[in-house]
Amino acid sequence: MNDKYDIIVIGGGHNGLTAATKLAKNGKKVAVIEKRQALGGIAAGEEFHPGYKSTGLIHDTSTIRMSVVKSLNLKDFGLNIEEKRPNTTILGSSGECIELSDNIEETCQEISKYSNKDAEAYKDYRSFIASIRPFVDGLMNEMPPDLIKLGTKDLWTLLKKAIGLKRLGNKTMLEFLKVAPMSVADFINERFETEFLKAGLVAPAIYHSYTGPWSSYSTLNLLLWECASANSIIGGPQALVTALEKAAIAVNVDILTNCGAKQVLLDDNNEVMGVLLADDKVVQAPIVASSCTPLVTFYDLLKPNQIEYSLEHSIKHYRSRGTAVKVNLALNKALSLNGLSNIEYARTGNSIDEMEKSFDFVKYRKFSVTPILDIHVPSVSSPELAPENHCVVSVIAHFASHELEGGWSEDPKKVFGQNVIQTLEQYSPGISNSVVGMEVLSPQDLEERYGLANGQVYHGEHAVDQILTRPIPSCMRYSTPISGLYLCGSGSHPGGGITCMPGALGSEAILKNR
Amino acid sequence: MPIKSPFFPRTSQLCTSMYWKEWAGYHAVSSYGTLHDVEYFAFRYSAGLLDITPLFKYKITGTDSASFLSRVMVRDISQLKIGRVTYCCWCNEDGKVVDDGTVMRRGENEFFVTSADPCFSWFSRFTRGYDVEVNDISDQIAGLAVQGPTSRDILKKFCDVDLDSLKFFSTTSAKVKDFEIYISRTGYTGDLGYELWIENENALTLWDLIMDYGKSYDLRPAGLAALDVTRVEAGLILKDVDYYNALHTLIEDRMSSPYEISLGWTVNLERDPFNGQAALKAEKQAGSNWAIVGLDIDWVEIEELYNRHGLPPEVGSTAWRDSIPIYVDSSMNKQIGYATSGTWSPILKKNIALATIEKKYDQIDSKLQIEVTVEHKRHTVTATVSKPQFYNPERKTSNPVKS
Amino acid sequence: MSKRYDSIIIGGGHNGLICAAYLAKAGRKVLVLEKRHVLGGAAVSEELYPGFTFSVASYVVSLFRPHIIRELNLAKHGYEIIPMDCSFLPLPNGDSLARWADPQRSRREIARFSQKDAETYPEFSRVMTHMGKLAKAVIDHPAPDITSMNPRELANIFRLGRTFKGLGPELLHLNTKLVTMSALDFLDLWFESDVLKAPMAVSGIIGTFQGVRSPGTAYVLLHHYMGQLDGSFRSWGFSKGGTGGVSLACASSARSYGAEIRTEAAVQQVLIKNGEARGVVLENGDEILANSIVSNLDPNRTYLKMVGESELDDEVVKEIKRYKLRGSSGKVNLALDRVPEFSCRPGDGDHIRGDVAIAPSIDYLEKAFDQAKYGEFSTRPYINAVIPSLTDPSVAPPGKHILSCFVQYAPYHIKEGAENWPKYREAFGDAVVDTMAEYIPGLKDMILYRQVLTPWDIEQTMGLTEGNIFQGELSLEQLLFQRPLAGYAKYKTSINKLWMCGSGTHPGGGIMGAGGELCAKTMLNARAI
Repeated sequence: MNDKYDIIVIGGGHNGLTAATKLAKNGKKVAVIEKRQALGGIAAGEEFHPGYKSTGLIHDTSTIRMSVVKSLNLKDFGLNIEEKRPNTTILGSSGECIELSDNIEETCQEISKYSNKDAEAYKDYRSFIASIRPFVDGLMNEMPPDLIKLGTKDLWTLLKKAIGLKRLGNKTMLEFLKVAPMSVADFINERFETEFLKAGLVAPAIYHSYTGPWSSYSTLNLLLWECASANSIIGGPQALVTALEKAAIAVNVDILTNCGAKQVLLDDNNEVMGVLLADDKVVQAPIVASSCTPLVTFYDLLKPNQIEYSLEHSIKHYRSRGTAVKVNLALNKALSLNGLSNIEYARTGNSIDEMEKSFDFVKYRKFSVTPILDIHVPSVSSPELAPENHCVVSVIAHFASHELEGGWSEDPKKVFGQNVIQTLEQYSPGISNSVVGMEVLSPQDLEERYGLANGQVYHGEHAVDQILTRPIPSCMRYSTPISGLYLCGSGSHPGGGITCMPGALGSEAILKNR
Repeated sequence: MPIKSPFFPRTSQLCTSMYWKEWAGYHAVSSYGTLHDVEYFAFRYSAGLLDITPLFKYKITGTDSASFLSRVMVRDISQLKIGRVTYCCWCNEDGKVVDDGTVMRRGENEFFVTSADPCFSWFSRFTRGYDVEVNDISDQIAGLAVQGPTSRDILKKFCDVDLDSLKFFSTTSAKVKDFEIYISRTGYTGDLGYELWIENENALTLWDLIMDYGKSYDLRPAGLAALDVTRVEAGLILKDVDYYNALHTLIEDRMSSPYEISLGWTVNLERDPFNGQAALKAEKQAGSNWAIVGLDIDWVEIEELYNRHGLPPEVGSTAWRDSIPIYVDSSMNKQIGYATSGTWSPILKKNIALATIEKKYDQIDSKLQIEVTVEHKRHTVTATVSKPQFYNPERKTSNPVKS
Repeated sequence: MSKRYDSIIIGGGHNGLICAAYLAKAGRKVLVLEKRHVLGGAAVSEELYPGFTFSVASYVVSLFRPHIIRELNLAKHGYEIIPMDCSFLPLPNGDSLARWADPQRSRREIARFSQKDAETYPEFSRVMTHMGKLAKAVIDHPAPDITSMNPRELANIFRLGRTFKGLGPELLHLNTKLVTMSALDFLDLWFESDVLKAPMAVSGIIGTFQGVRSPGTAYVLLHHYMGQLDGSFRSWGFSKGGTGGVSLACASSARSYGAEIRTEAAVQQVLIKNGEARGVVLENGDEILANSIVSNLDPNRTYLKMVGESELDDEVVKEIKRYKLRGSSGKVNLALDRVPEFSCRPGDGDHIRGDVAIAPSIDYLEKAFDQAKYGEFSTRPYINAVIPSLTDPSVAPPGKHILSCFVQYAPYHIKEGAENWPKYREAFGDAVVDTMAEYIPGLKDMILYRQVLTPWDIEQTMGLTEGNIFQGELSLEQLLFQRPLAGYAKYKTSINKLWMCGSGTHPGGGIMGAGGELCAKTMLNARAI
């Protein structure tokens, strides 16, 4: 470790590593400092029970941007990626199953087991997604125009986006503008009739958000996710981290683990001069890029009088309310869901109203009795994660309040864990008997382990205003009001999930400004 | 529906004119008699007693009180010594003034702050990361101003402290009967005077004591009308008259920096970050657009205007608070500012005003034109630019015993 | 068939009457046809019980566009608004909050719950005034059509863009938030106390099928601040003689310009020939011809009933069926034999001369909404109550009073189906009276007469589809160039010579009059008649 760098990246998650590698590839001397022992942040795999490993806190790798994979040559560093979205099974509580795959024909056939109308509707739905994808991709892959300052250049970018929208054709554009603000319940109800299918389709819109399917604007989230979800990484998020680490080392990035940042140091002109580490060592650098949440970056890494009140106020009101609990299960046999084994990804929900009722709990600072499950069984494709013939199940369960009445002590965690297993029983009778190990991570645990404010996995909710000017207007282009301090985490455009895009665009902003 | 100050049982008996105003949600006496002149002369020749309870009062405690206040105020409060008072203003992050008031240091970790607008919410916004507690004690603490040449002698009659050596802008606690009062040698009249702070329940006892002992020193209860004349003479600006709270204005033109309202001297720029620092540094470098100045309005020209109509010159008996245009010359083509308050000064025998004018015209002794209306017609007369402070008697700051 | 009109207006609501007045003022021959025996639509006064005149549906006036008052000379025609001085919130624990026009008095009231909030309150009003400026730019003009590349439309968009940009960065961002956030999240930017936030947040849900936590409701909140814009006008008030007074003033103005107005003249259908509106057929079979037809009815009724699917493109039928109405509110009007006194703050003082909100907490409001989401009326609803007889003696006999309760939520689509609402009407009325009685001891013994209006009743009597008082949900996809339909948002419909002027057009619901005015002006500008 040196004591002087061009750029220090705080946080060794997938975004931090992406940013560091991109910067180093451009000739910068870069260090990544990671508080935890393992790299990867929420993408890091953990041994949660002796002999059983998870592949990361969140398991959806389908939104990884190929542009990043290509520009960092991640395949050369061992990344095994398929350019198609993974098959996902939608489960009904009476044994129903529909497997959604990249192959629309096959999927429609699956759906027509339950409803021909829905099969037709699904085809239309996919073609609508395909028609808006170029526009949405354009939004996600580029630095956003400064919607607030609206300089000439920003207006020009905005105009280009508007033209991009118009280029979809009036009909698609109007449909997009019409449905985006709608509740996802309305949007899906207009098209489909089979209850459990509808529930499965709306689910991604409400994951990690503080909204139920009946909340306005939830359709926008669904559309963004549908457009982005196009790939799958074999081995899950941890595999991505492993490749990213190799790529970083190859361009001489200094990676320092067990190395927390205590403070970003500013000089008399309020400009960045380095980082004070947890062990009180000082590392100098004129630029610091933080992949931590906006709250940690501005509240914990700076002194209170180093940020103006308006910034503090916007950060304080940047909405970041965790609504999910992570449950890792170790099973002593393979998991079968609704009679099917070898399912890798599955979703439950049963009906839109049930999902809404599940959301209602968080409004009153409680958790759902029958949570909605987003299931990943990584051991299907990576058997090494568990002992032979055993299996690892990664469940993200909604909804649970981050400000649970009475607090997230061991008891409520146990109860919620049981709620998850009881819910799984509906799809996998007898599963309770095969559970040999279980880890329940409440929003509070997530905050403590990963520094996620209120356990919000996306570093801030994907609400419209927080998508358009992410995280806040004065920081929406990765630079901040503090000269030399940049953001490069999920709290920045285009947001949370495993995309690596905030890291990539953040590093671009740094290279452009200096 | 204004509320009553703890002194209301007395002030309401004495206010025979029934001239009241609303001050910060309180009933406040405008003048006790139909004419306020006697109350003015009490301030200047003997002593006036004014109920200042409607001011907002805050107690700031905690080990970081000083650094917290230094962050909020344009002044470096950490330099303030125990027992001393400072007058200053506080800004938003754009360097625009939110309010002004006094800060008194009662102890290493205890301050007493007064303000014109409610500021609890404002102060509380900056407490994150500081060991500090902001307490609004506005409703628990009553205030009385005893102002004028005989004020010290009156207080000496019943206070157990050495007021002869209490310096201007210093404070002390005193025991009166069986209770304590907090005295600061401050005021809004620009004269020798004190402000007394006291728990509500003892307020009336204190009032009665002062009135009793004051009799021999020609003390009178005085209202806001008289105060207004004295504060213009002293060149003390007033929120909502000479400037506006930046948080409550709709347009930027109505916001002011400390430099623009003659409070530049209260700003300590080179130190740890404080609210408005960056903006104020920039303004200091680039120069301000506006300045508050004093205007000495030419009496002879006014007299002349009235003469033309066969009238003796008329000046209002009270201070005024209208916005009066200031021009660069008598053609009235180019307005360069506006006077915000003014008065006939009985003690200086001058017609004076406080005005906000473009900075480039603020040279002392330069001549400008102010609008006057005589017999419904608009004219201008010459006004000479001066410092805002017109009246500053030696007794205001001096002590009979050198300490 | 007697004479030929330049324009026939279907529906004598305030927008229809205003539209008629503007057209007549411009010299056009206009006929207004109202189904009921009274004019006003939802802005109607009726003497339902001897001596008591009820503002049956809409009960307060705040958003009425001041230039309409001037241009139609409404003050001369009896437009009288009595300002409301206070918003009162009784609390179940015996406490209460009154917000007054006097800022210092409000500050002291709010400070009892949160001192910070009390002091932030004026800052909030200041910001909302800025936001209102923007809203004014939006509501006082037809919505620009973004699908068009016509230079005039582009100029309109540019004009709006400039207004937006003129706000400056901070306010612009706030504006984005305002359009997309929930009323509660938006208020959270300023306030901490539930007791203040709850009665403020309800402004964001009135008339919508949304809860205070639903994204998008902050926009509706702004609707309620727009009244503050117009300087000398107080923001909220009662119309003298009930809300129908506004409609009657509009009618009187319209007549003074020569418009003809008929009541009990229900239109059955718009006469369409070769895709063009030629006249109307009344329920009694009469046909009346005109050069243009203006519908003050909601979009659903206009397109699907007055025109009929057979005359419409499939695409239009599909889109109009997607148009969300979903009435969510009801009304309970009570005639009382004495002043209803609140136990938490007794007496008939100024605190009950404005509006009274039963909205004790955010959770209370959310729970009321939860019931509605799943097809039930709220058993403990949000209620906005007024006692207009305390300030306007003309509406009730001396010493007697009217308690008019706007109630939410009463979803049109109850689980059992909307047509079963009559079975639940009295139970709904009881829930409202029970709720009010928790704050007004002895209320049940004071009641001389009770009228309960469910959304079903509102649909049946006033012709508002699904009982939606705004003629359509105020959600972003149904506003601006999309109200009611993209491409037909400028008062024109897909049928030639058929126009719309109701709340289902831009800028939406409330007693604003803007729909009627802008429709008439658009028609005249286009030389359509």
